[in-house]
Amino acid sequence: MFNYTFQWKQAMARLPQMLDGAIVTMQVAILSMVIGILLAIVLTMFRLSGIRILSAVAKAWVEIARNTPALFQIYMAHFGLGSFGLHLSPFLSILIGITFNNAGYLTENFRGALKAIPDTQTRAARSLGMGAAGAFRHVVLPQMLRISFLPMTNQMVWAILMTSLGVTVGMNTDLYGVTQDLNALTFRTFELFALAAVIFYVITKIVTLGARLIAARLFRY
Amino acid sequence: MFDTALTAADFIFLAKGAGMTIVVTIISVIAGTVLGIVFGVIRYQLGAIWAAPLIFVLDIFRSIPLLIQLVLANAFMGTILRLNMSGFTVACIVLSMYTAAYCAEIVRGGIEAVPATTRRAARSLGMTWGQDMREIVLPLATRVALPSWIGLALGVMKDSALVYVVQVTELLRSTQILITRLQEPLLLLMICGAFYFVISFPLARFGGYLEKRWSND
Amino acid sequence: MKSTFAISLLAAAAAFAAPSHADKLDDIIASGTLRCAVVLDFPPMGMRDESNTPVGFDVDYCNDLAAALGVKAEIVETPFPERIPALMSGRVDVGVASTSDTLERAKTVGMSIPYFAFEMAVTANDKSGIASFQDMKGKTVGATAGTFEAIALEKQVKEWGEGTFRPYQTQADVFLALSQGQLDATVSTSTVAQSNVKTGNFPGISVVGKAPFDIDYVALFTNREEYGLINYLNLFVNQQVRTGRYAELYEKWVGGDLPSLTVDGVHR
Repeated sequence: MFNYTFQWKQAMARLPQMLDGAIVTMQVAILSMVIGILLAIVLTMFRLSGIRILSAVAKAWVEIARNTPALFQIYMAHFGLGSFGLHLSPFLSILIGITFNNAGYLTENFRGALKAIPDTQTRAARSLGMGAAGAFRHVVLPQMLRISFLPMTNQMVWAILMTSLGVTVGMNTDLYGVTQDLNALTFRTFELFALAAVIFYVITKIVTLGARLIAARLFRY
Repeated sequence: MFDTALTAADFIFLAKGAGMTIVVTIISVIAGTVLGIVFGVIRYQLGAIWAAPLIFVLDIFRSIPLLIQLVLANAFMGTILRLNMSGFTVACIVLSMYTAAYCAEIVRGGIEAVPATTRRAARSLGMTWGQDMREIVLPLATRVALPSWIGLALGVMKDSALVYVVQVTELLRSTQILITRLQEPLLLLMICGAFYFVISFPLARFGGYLEKRWSND
Repeated sequence: MKSTFAISLLAAAAAFAAPSHADKLDDIIASGTLRCAVVLDFPPMGMRDESNTPVGFDVDYCNDLAAALGVKAEIVETPFPERIPALMSGRVDVGVASTSDTLERAKTVGMSIPYFAFEMAVTANDKSGIASFQDMKGKTVGATAGTFEAIALEKQVKEWGEGTFRPYQTQADVFLALSQGQLDATVSTSTVAQSNVKTGNFPGISVVGKAPFDIDYVALFTNREEYGLINYLNLFVNQQVRTGRYAELYEKWVGGDLPSLTVDGVHR
């Protein structure tokens, strides 16, 4: 019935190249998460600062990140900024695109998490003589990060999946880019992309299971 | 204000792309939600062990980039099964399954949020499983699930930008085609981004409003 | 649930798979439509006019082929990397998409005799100071993913051991990147290079010379096992040259010296 001959050997022969690509994919995802979390903390402080301009910046960032496609954001980082003469390498473009997206979503997650932390704690901290920044850093922030741990894991998985959009800005070293290059050489579309899918699946599983282990260790009382 | 070569015909071209984005989204969200409710209820009723195969399959759709899902489905249906399927059909099938995979989790979360005691009370009043599901679980679970569901539907609209790989000319692809001819990337990208934003933002706000309103009582 | 889905898929496959095994040439004539894969951001071979309708050498070539077969032509736009997948998934019948006839690809698809030949040219951003192919060493260069020139250029960059190579998804993105200065130079077919520079859409770039790659012969392609159709395509290409239609189209879209489609000293 299947009028198709699978050539798994051809795909498997390329596995080392694809695994190299997977490492680049992980680099982009991890970097974008680390910077994304830091930016999200800054944006959260902007929101809480009560200074109108700062909270407007935070608000605009969150809404644009959440209401336009990630592909659009990445394309914009490359060709949009390029129109202003700002030239980013594909690696930087995809990193900035995903980081922008991560920071927007995480800020929103942090907002949800903050609701779960009673105001009275901040007030108590302040009355103990802590400054506003100190109270945020020592009392609110640790709890906020802890409550947002699960959403952060989800965002990490999304960041990994989003790296596949790098091809649109000329990226060819990540897992998807490598796979597409190999596909152009051999035209073994199904075999190559099936292998890439398996690698992506394994990576995301390792990340989610790893996060669960960390959470179990970190958050036991 | 802008010195542009953009003509009315080009706007119609963009509007067609936007129409395609909306059609693909609506079909996939409806089909995906129906499937997602079925999967979610099955998943809940069977429990984690008996539903393991279902959980595994749905998890795959959440663990592989949508771009790869589309390429693979396209190659599988076309090259291997030799079904003469249009790119539009492939796009809708993949996006529906993608939606269903996330929707099933939302549905399960919604059902689990209904207190067991409430349901036991309903059953002890003589309600059947069906009545319990319809009269008790449905209204309560909807309150929990609807805001997330709106988020999901908007996510699907944004992710539908990827169906260009199966030769469906949606909004972002039409924009790229016009950029090719007119070489005004910034203006065209702004128009494209504004379109997504105008649809997504009010709905996201509405979702946030519902969430806030329903969580207070 | 999943298994019923799979079973219905298999049933559907069984129902539809059988007829598609008939000779493809017959299928096309019977269906009344010839679906061609054409790349539409590859001027002057394939592009869009002001009303966004497809035009170009490849579009005319597809129309001629359809006319010869006595059917209607349908142009299916495919980006470069998607040409072969579109054929393999049965979305198009024939590729009229400036496809280089490499041996690696011929393992997967069936190629006709060459219907066009490209020379490769270097186009550079004026600010980069690149004036020849050798100047590209150590610079950031790019080309369209999956094309003959991209594969050759990536190899060359690796040989040089310095500089970076970036593939973009479409020819348009390559020239956009070049014009913005993201790329210092690109190698593309000379027809494309001249055509893009001529439009004036991309300020600050110029064609600076030839690239020392082999002449890029491009072929029509279809499924590997469709000998009947491949024979027909070969005769069609031959007739286009014989009747002077090839020269006519070349004059219309490109202009200049007509490239020879034969190689000395060997039979095809």
